[in-house]
Amino acid sequence: MAEPLDRSAERARTAAGSDEASLIREAQRGDQDAFERLVKSYDQSVLRLAINLLRSPDEARDVYQEVFLKVFRNLHLFRFDCSFHTWLYRIATNVCLDHLRRRKVRKEESSVIDTPEGPVDQATRLAEEGPAGNPERQTWNKELSAGITAGLEGLTPRERTVFELRHYEGLRLRAIGEILGTSEEAAKNCLFRATQKMRASLETFV
Amino acid sequence: MKCAEVVEQFPLYSYGEVSPEVEERIEAHLAACVECARGFAQHRSFMEALDRREGPDEAVLLTACRLDFRQQLAAATSTVKRAPGWTGWLESLRNLAGFHIPFRIPVGALALVAVGFFAARYTPEKFGGIRAGLTEPMFSSVKSIQPGDSGKVQIAVDDVQRRVVTGGMDDPRIQQLLLAAVREEANPGLRVESIGMLQNSAESQEIRQALIDTLTHDPNAGVRLKALQGLKQYAGDASVRKALANVLLKDDNAGVRGQAIDLLTAHHDDSIAGILQDVMQKEDDDYIRIRCRDLLEAMKASVGTY
Repeated sequence: MAEPLDRSAERARTAAGSDEASLIREAQRGDQDAFERLVKSYDQSVLRLAINLLRSPDEARDVYQEVFLKVFRNLHLFRFDCSFHTWLYRIATNVCLDHLRRRKVRKEESSVIDTPEGPVDQATRLAEEGPAGNPERQTWNKELSAGITAGLEGLTPRERTVFELRHYEGLRLRAIGEILGTSEEAAKNCLFRATQKMRASLETFV
Repeated sequence: MKCAEVVEQFPLYSYGEVSPEVEERIEAHLAACVECARGFAQHRSFMEALDRREGPDEAVLLTACRLDFRQQLAAATSTVKRAPGWTGWLESLRNLAGFHIPFRIPVGALALVAVGFFAARYTPEKFGGIRAGLTEPMFSSVKSIQPGDSGKVQIAVDDVQRRVVTGGMDDPRIQQLLLAAVREEANPGLRVESIGMLQNSAESQEIRQALIDTLTHDPNAGVRLKALQGLKQYAGDASVRKALANVLLKDDNAGVRGQAIDLLTAHHDDSIAGILQDVMQKEDDDYIRIRCRDLLEAMKASVGTY
């Protein structure tokens, strides 16, 4: 008889979890190869989070280094009392929040820059040219993208992080609360405020 | 549920972050209220617009990040921070124990052998040790041993007295001592620290040459990276560029080669096209190949040699 899909998915998740746990233990015992495999299984999502939160490839590159050096130095302190993903994201969001807060103090220039073709989000300068499509649509998408970035810049660092984790990373508010060391309720309030502000700033596009 | 309450729940409802009871009540209200249903449709368009944010292509950046991290890791594992005296020594061992457990047993064994060896050689006379004035800390080595008359042994010992030298970085004595430390074969951590101190004085030809020698010959990748960092501001200098090209073609560490290509190409110079073409022939690291290809294309040079 065929195994129900949800049960086999659960078994696959458990197997993946135990594989990850043994990888972490090997890395904790000093196996550098295991550590590198652990980094490679998470580094793309950490980098994406940093790029999306900071909208600056250079800062995202710095964040990547800071995060994984912290992981390297503190892995022996990881006690499996939360998932590795939560522990890693706690480090990553803290490093990103530090960057965002420093940027607020420095009143750094916006990630959105004005060009002869209209406002452009610096982070999208990394993007390669997509297939040729409707030029008007492309312009509209660029403007919308810059509008979203400008809207995100109007949020507090904490609101921005919660919004990014919920909307773009798809994490549940409970997990976000755990990552940020706060309650689910506080994360919910933060998401609510962030969504209201974003909606107000994108009014012209919707 | 009143309209205002429903509208206020739109953000959390659309993320599925309300309780099942609230969700049911909202859905019942939306089914019955045209105004709120229109409002929710607008909210959905807002959510869809958010999803049209353009994302960057992370692939190249990810490769660069991995390369940077490999370098950082090499430097982090080769640098043993030193605090004064025993606490520093213990701290160094603790750091090794924290990550390099495979090396812990040999290191521990070596440390015990060293302690036993030095203790045996330098136990003060009142405890039955050899005659050696140990009023000051000392490094010594036994050069020769000869049987003497009436059962005595004659041992030639080179003693090196430890002293502390203090001075600014412009003090030639300090510079010479740091240059000597850069060549301290047995201690990569000391070499990294010395280079770190010397790198701000690399306008001196002698120091720059020492950094180049380290970059070219040091067996430790972390130390070579530190030397590269010291040479960064002199990347336009002909001797430095020659060394960078050499590294790019011959260094066995991809992290060092990646850093070298970044420095080499920081200054516009079409004459390096040949080197870049050679690199394209033999390089297997993705980041370096991508950098070379982009640079050759920017120079309008062919990617391969024919």
